[in-house]
Amino acid sequence: MMTLLLSFCRSLQMLWKNRLYPGSSPRNWTFSVLYSYFHFSKKEQRYFSFTLPFQRNTKATNFLISQAISSNKNDKDTSRQESSFSPHPLFSAGTAKKKSELLGYKKDQQHYFPFSRPELLPTKPLSSEEWEKVKENFEQKNIFENWMMKQMIKYNCSIDIAKSLLSWIARKNNGIVEYKLLIGYLTLCVSQRQTAEIIDVYEIMKTRYKTLEREGYTLLIRGLIHSDRWRETLILLEDIKKVMSPSKKNYGDCIKGALLHREMNLAWNLYFEMLNHRIIPNWETFQAFFDFAKGVKNNEFERRLLDILLYLRNNQMYPNEPFAQSIKMWFESIPEKKWKGESVLIHKSGQCLACGRMLESIHLNSEEYEFLKQRVLKDVLDGGDQYRKTTPKEINRFEKFIKNCPPFDIVIDGLNVTKMFPKIRESETLLDVVSQLTKQNFQVLVLGRKHMLNGSSRWQKNEMTAVQNMAYCFFADNVSEDDAFLLYATLHSGNQCRFLTRDLMRDHKACLPDEKTQHLFFRWQQGHQLVFLNYYPGKKIIFQSVLTYDTVIQTTGDSWHIPYDENMVERYSYEVPTKWLCLQQQN
Amino acid sequence: MSACFMFLRHFARQSVVPFVHHKKGASLYKKGASLYFTILHRHLSSRTPFLFYPNKENVPPSEKIDLDEWKNTMKSSLPEERSSLTTSEDTLTMTREWIEMCRMLNREVPEHISDEDLKMIAECPSKKSKKKKLKFLYIKEKHKKARQEKQARKRAEKEETKKQKQLENDEETENRELKNSFLLPLQDRAFKTEWDWRNAQAMIFGQPLVFDMAYENFMPERDLKNTVCQLLESEGANRKDIDPFHIYFCNLRVDSVYHKELLNRYKEKWNTLFLTATEKSHVDIFPKESLIYLTADSPNVMTTFRHDKIYIIGSFVDKCSQPRVSYANAKRLNIASERLPLDRYLQWEIGSKNLTLDQMMRILLTLKNTGDWEKALKFVPRRKHSGFHTNSINSKNFVKGSQKHKLEIKKSFRKLSLNSQNRGMWWKDE
Repeated sequence: MMTLLLSFCRSLQMLWKNRLYPGSSPRNWTFSVLYSYFHFSKKEQRYFSFTLPFQRNTKATNFLISQAISSNKNDKDTSRQESSFSPHPLFSAGTAKKKSELLGYKKDQQHYFPFSRPELLPTKPLSSEEWEKVKENFEQKNIFENWMMKQMIKYNCSIDIAKSLLSWIARKNNGIVEYKLLIGYLTLCVSQRQTAEIIDVYEIMKTRYKTLEREGYTLLIRGLIHSDRWRETLILLEDIKKVMSPSKKNYGDCIKGALLHREMNLAWNLYFEMLNHRIIPNWETFQAFFDFAKGVKNNEFERRLLDILLYLRNNQMYPNEPFAQSIKMWFESIPEKKWKGESVLIHKSGQCLACGRMLESIHLNSEEYEFLKQRVLKDVLDGGDQYRKTTPKEINRFEKFIKNCPPFDIVIDGLNVTKMFPKIRESETLLDVVSQLTKQNFQVLVLGRKHMLNGSSRWQKNEMTAVQNMAYCFFADNVSEDDAFLLYATLHSGNQCRFLTRDLMRDHKACLPDEKTQHLFFRWQQGHQLVFLNYYPGKKIIFQSVLTYDTVIQTTGDSWHIPYDENMVERYSYEVPTKWLCLQQQN
Repeated sequence: MSACFMFLRHFARQSVVPFVHHKKGASLYKKGASLYFTILHRHLSSRTPFLFYPNKENVPPSEKIDLDEWKNTMKSSLPEERSSLTTSEDTLTMTREWIEMCRMLNREVPEHISDEDLKMIAECPSKKSKKKKLKFLYIKEKHKKARQEKQARKRAEKEETKKQKQLENDEETENRELKNSFLLPLQDRAFKTEWDWRNAQAMIFGQPLVFDMAYENFMPERDLKNTVCQLLESEGANRKDIDPFHIYFCNLRVDSVYHKELLNRYKEKWNTLFLTATEKSHVDIFPKESLIYLTADSPNVMTTFRHDKIYIIGSFVDKCSQPRVSYANAKRLNIASERLPLDRYLQWEIGSKNLTLDQMMRILLTLKNTGDWEKALKFVPRRKHSGFHTNSINSKNFVKGSQKHKLEIKKSFRKLSLNSQNRGMWWKDE
């Protein structure tokens, strides 16, 4: 009975979801993603299938994959068209989520069905005697009041009921209501926006307590900004500052209050103060500025809003969808200038489909490039202690080797590439990849470890010698990290050089000292990392296209291009959005 | 939406209602109904699932309840009026008041707080660090309180038994005889002398065991204190052993934080400890060939305990995210390194393979005395593994170590450790 119900609910939920988001991910696109992760998922399954007891539907997954392949074969045109829009196979928003779903994570974890029964929760204000009766039915008498308040907040009760609870407690308690209950009541009032009540509670708190703690202040600020006494939120903000720095929420609420009451200068001052304290504002705060700017005609104001956009650009932040809508609305609301906004995808060549302009190139300029090269050498390869990742002797050997070689076109992470296909002998895969690439007249460098040369069933000696004859090879010690060498070799060879690995290099990125450098590294990585599109040893190698344009807010004066996060897509931190807002002035 | 609703209604009629009718139990009806309600509300409407107050019908339409009564009392109950919340006082009092208010919300903050701690909290750079520090103090205070309560309870019990005894003694005091005993009650001291003799012998003839103290700069103060705790613990374990090591504290600079903390903990005992503390490095004292650095990052697995080697343990609580520090050290000094064969014997589940110093010490002592890996690895915390490999070879066969046997071990190991341990194997290649 119970299980039946449960399973029914589950199916209902799924039905519900499907109804809610119709066509948010078109069929073909899903399949193309599936397809590009075909090899990946195979490999992952090998490692994870035994650790995941809840991954039961391997068969279903396999079926999906095979279906994906066949569908991809059937309508190649559509898939090609789709793939030209997904900017980079590894870094476009949502791929990691899709992959994890494909592998069966989360699916079973998400379903829970709380059978909570607020049986004691009244529907109308009760008198004292009635409250006593309710309390009798409750087991743990000492937490009854707090528990009841919590339930009321959870189910968003009408405040009259809460009031009746408080008056009962006050009568019992010589007219004293605990601070905790008062905070609970305030939470309820704020969530229902009962401004008059909030002011009453504010008065009570003022008389009873000298200072409040953070939650009380936050709630009061949030509640008071809609009232006439919104200026007092600034006093409250000052009070918080005496003990600790206010949160972005506190600042955001104060700014919103100021904007609501048309005190633009005050709002801007608060905003700048916030930035000075290195607090990154909420999206709601940014959005509030853009929303309130629609009615205002003020050049100074306009300039500051554009400054916000530049701030976002410098910090590599991507707006969320509602904020992107606000930006669009604001631009379109400027009279005379006739801005027109559109949400678009970008062609893989970097051309905006709406206006035809080319986006900024992802390639670093020579100064940035040189800087990144030095940092990688210093922080990633050396890292303060040369012995941790390698040895000084090996670094010397590597530097000599690099100097004696011509610049490379492709640097291959030998171990990573060969381990992609667990059923095929490692040396065979490597030989196949290297021979195909050298046939296309690429200068190839293979990085590996010394144990590859020792000759075993997986690494055959004759194949390895063949590889060494075709390409330059560098074999690090078995205990060294070869990734760092890979990065440096690629950077040393110049801008045309790419590297082939499936590793996302996040640990190496984390070695870099500050966010600016990390972002430089990420930009370089997006533009230089090669991934197989569809390769199985023996077949022809095709790489996924690398990004040529930088995913960042950018302007040419009469146009803006703003990448943003879609509501339904969960973006991981190392991914970039695929959707763009294109704004252009029409003449 | 409507389709869903129809479906649900159909379903409810089909299953819930007949079920209830058949049983006719009042409680079951209630349960079913509530279930039905919950589902309905969860999925089809945003309305909240209130159940009706049970006595609703019996209550007469009572007189209007005064809802704002409490406000008046709250406002008037305090004699002194304050104009506003703000008071111009220094940050310390503000912080103290703020902590007091947090306590009213049952946050994890201590009840009593000393001025020093308060100052430290006020100086914490971020909210998170403040919160952490407060939670630490809160837990400390809680432990202290629990300990005091326990002590008080024990004292009370003791006094009671004393009283009872006295009552009994008063009666029997006349006809009591002196006991005939073989020893004076001097056991503790006798043990200590015995241990000291053994350790003095170990200082002359014992196998050296080195604690490398070169990691002072890699640890924050908190971890450093933990390290010293672990050092004390392992020294104690060694002292009580039947065949102790001769402990060396190498690279221990005088007046370093380590040295100060050790002095602070050992007090005057420090100078009479049976161990060698030196500023020299282990490579200067011992021949390089006989040194073996024990580190979890080493690619070599320790197979046997060798009585002619000198093992080095890095006294380092590695909580900072700098991997392979001790292995880098071993590489730099060109010393052989080994790690414990944890994966070979244990079904590892969670936790890092870095063990605490006292665990290492106990493992090494057991190995030294018995050479039995299973016995030695009993000291690995139980939470980290789910047991020994069942068909694991006993250590004697392992010592013989024929090549064929090794392969078999590897195979069985692979079979058994298909889960997380596997990663330990392939990191080498990738």
